[in-house]
Amino acid sequence: MARIEVVMPQMGESIAEGTIVKWHKKVGDRVKKDETLLEISTDKVDSEIPSPAAGVLAEIVVPEQKTVAVRTVIAYLEAEGGAVAAEASRPTVPSAMETPKPIAMAPAPISAAPAITPLAAPASGRFYSPLVLNIAREEGIAMNELELIPGTGEGGRASKKDILAYVAAKKSGAIAAPSSPSVSKATSAGILAKPVDVPELRGKYPAPDFEILQMSNVLQKMAEHMVKSVATSPHVAAIHEVDMTNVVKHRGAHAIEFEKKEGFKLTFTPYIVEAVSRAIKKYPLVNTSIEGDKIIKKNFINIGIAVASENGLIVPVIKNAEEKNFLGLARAVNDLATRTRAKKLTPDDIQGGTFTISNYGVFGTMIGTPIINQPQVAIIGTGAIKKRVVVIDDAIAIRSMAYFTMSFDHRIVDGALGGMFLEEVVQYLQNFDINLKF
Amino acid sequence: MAEKSFDVVVLGGGPGGYTAAIRAAQLGMKTGIIERDRLGGVCLNWGCIPTKALLKNAEVLQTFRRGEEWGISYDNLKVDFGKIIKRSRVVSEKIVKGVEYLMRKNKIEHIPGYGVLLGNGAIEIRAEGKPDEKVTAKHIVVATGARPRTIPGVPIDRKRVISSTEAMSLTDQPKSMIVIGAGAIGIEFAYFYNAVGTKVTVVEMMPSILPVEDAELTKMMEASLKKQGIEILTQAKVESVNPGSNDVTVTVTAADGKKELKGDVALMAIGVQGNVENFGLEKLGVTVERGHVRVDSDYRTNIPGVYAIGDVIGPPWLAHVASAEGVHCIEAIAGKKPAAIDYSSIPGCTYCQPQIASVGLTEEKAKAEGYELKIGRFPFRPLGKAVAIGEAEGMVKLIFDAKYGELLGAHIMGAEATEMIHELVMAKKLETTGKEIFHTIHAHPTLSEAVMEAAAAAYGEAINI
Repeated sequence: MARIEVVMPQMGESIAEGTIVKWHKKVGDRVKKDETLLEISTDKVDSEIPSPAAGVLAEIVVPEQKTVAVRTVIAYLEAEGGAVAAEASRPTVPSAMETPKPIAMAPAPISAAPAITPLAAPASGRFYSPLVLNIAREEGIAMNELELIPGTGEGGRASKKDILAYVAAKKSGAIAAPSSPSVSKATSAGILAKPVDVPELRGKYPAPDFEILQMSNVLQKMAEHMVKSVATSPHVAAIHEVDMTNVVKHRGAHAIEFEKKEGFKLTFTPYIVEAVSRAIKKYPLVNTSIEGDKIIKKNFINIGIAVASENGLIVPVIKNAEEKNFLGLARAVNDLATRTRAKKLTPDDIQGGTFTISNYGVFGTMIGTPIINQPQVAIIGTGAIKKRVVVIDDAIAIRSMAYFTMSFDHRIVDGALGGMFLEEVVQYLQNFDINLKF
Repeated sequence: MAEKSFDVVVLGGGPGGYTAAIRAAQLGMKTGIIERDRLGGVCLNWGCIPTKALLKNAEVLQTFRRGEEWGISYDNLKVDFGKIIKRSRVVSEKIVKGVEYLMRKNKIEHIPGYGVLLGNGAIEIRAEGKPDEKVTAKHIVVATGARPRTIPGVPIDRKRVISSTEAMSLTDQPKSMIVIGAGAIGIEFAYFYNAVGTKVTVVEMMPSILPVEDAELTKMMEASLKKQGIEILTQAKVESVNPGSNDVTVTVTAADGKKELKGDVALMAIGVQGNVENFGLEKLGVTVERGHVRVDSDYRTNIPGVYAIGDVIGPPWLAHVASAEGVHCIEAIAGKKPAAIDYSSIPGCTYCQPQIASVGLTEEKAKAEGYELKIGRFPFRPLGKAVAIGEAEGMVKLIFDAKYGELLGAHIMGAEATEMIHELVMAKKLETTGKEIFHTIHAHPTLSEAVMEAAAAAYGEAINI
């Protein structure tokens, strides 16, 4: 029997100590993995602490109401057998032998299913049948994963058939992580909606007052992805004002020389990509995705740039932005832009994004609220740069201003992080070194 | 020749056809329905509805005969067979009128006559005493239904060898009847004729009556019907049927050897076959397999613009399935992308007394499909309501998948079974597990408490037993 240390957990980066509020188990009590073992209180949060393993509580080192530093051993568990970790995650039927005192308890071999960890509530409000939820629990499918399973049932519900197909596909390895909007077929499908004749709609929408058009595959895909994203992520938008004067000046000063040397135009995009890439290094939590109750942190920065093309919305991805200097980013941006226009993007070019930038400013939009590109957790939208009168140090000045919006997934990014991250982007651009040489 | 054009023309005015027509009209399509006979098809004219009227007579009679149990006695209980048949015709007439009204209400043109498909959306209408007419339609829905099938070499002469159609319109009550086939139709007529005093013998080739139902319940059912006086021969193969001038002889081979059965009439109730002939399907090249039109999950045939629904596309031959297919077919035509019909959640009902109703898999089938089962049973006998109304014969049997808790099948035998089954159809359709069923509070006292208790029994938590 292995003896396992239970330590005061670290409940947040800045938290150094915690107080034990209550032990839920006494010494000698049997405890299941993830069953609440104790309650603690820190200066930020109060929280129930699950048992790290299944076993018997052997010793309580730190009594209730006492405060200790994080990582301090507070109790010992006597774990059972060798298969602790494997067994604990699956709800099992407690056998009669495990019960220390076999008091008059009717043997209920079937009904005695232990309390099963309930799935989180669906953020989308989508209905899941009890059977689908049972299958999800049994097969370890988290709610956010469930939310992404396409439904063929009544009103688009994910039915038993859909989830079983998903489980089968997942087991066979056919399903990878949910990918960014798929536009690999875009070039052939085209965005232009074609007029169609639908007699049954004609009655309701007579010509010539109405036209009936077919949604292209790309449009249907876009519709599907947008709805799914809004259903999956609670979107919050933070809007910051950014002074782009330095960037505008820098670009103006180097544009001709740059084009002569590099053979393509210097745009604002590499400036923004660089700003975002640097901010991500400081706040890596925005460069993640969510799988169940796990955060998938990506140690690389792939920045997608939303581009309106004649084939519809395409999001080519700049790979490993963190490894590129300004010139490298400018070249990557140009390469993708050129190949997007030439319809020469490969499927790889539009995959693997970890963060997205949407520059709707080119259409004159001042402020937008972009939709997150799943499974990413944040997106920045950049508004049009316009000269405006602003106040600097109590003096009136004319500066090139823009509004940047960051939409973020509040399941993981809160207002504080969202605001700090965006402000980091803003500060970098605002203080851009006019004298920077390539 | 005047040529009318429609968005949708439905061929056949049965429950599948007229429902499809109404849905089409609701969606704004110009709709016509071709029917050579009365609207309502077999269901309303010669099937579901008139038989339910007859069966109610049998039930009332049964109740009168048990009058003593309730302290009600009378002398001289008489049965007027002619009036019973007449009442059933009146009921049918009323319901058919209702369908005619629905056609008018929805501005659907009823085109009387026999429709023959000419290709490219054209249909020729043949009606007696009128020149042939032609109509065109963008979409043609074939809903021509099915007709009683017979044993090869045994023609239905409508006198000694009859089908269900004759069985519900006989002028004289037969003294004895041999029912060939113990499916729902056979059993319902056997029950009816036995109740009104005809000597009934049922012959079934399969090991049990109502072969599609759960064997545990059909065994109980067989015992109940035998107790009512019906003679039942299972695993009995019909060798020959010889109609004479006054009676008919049916020779069968059963487990205990060859037997000759004599009766006033023999009712052929071995099933139905699709009406696929003589209206142009062959000419258009529509694929017909084993007597039924082949369709995809949106009820499209292989020929663009031609669809088929209901009995003509094969089993299950049920009016409610035809109607659902009709609605789906039209919605698919309208581009509404309806969810595919779930054929595992269709209720099946047999309306003798006690009744049998079911949805989903039988125990045998579920085992054959490899499920590990959790089965809950609850008899009517302990139910207060069942005892109070004198209907203690019956049982609810629920079959769950042990792994995920899915309701795989539900089977009810007993009074009101055909009404009670629907909460389970709904439960199955909404993919509930047993727990939601028995955690749903059922009113007391009702027969439906047996449903709740049967679900609880599957989890070892039934209370009143």
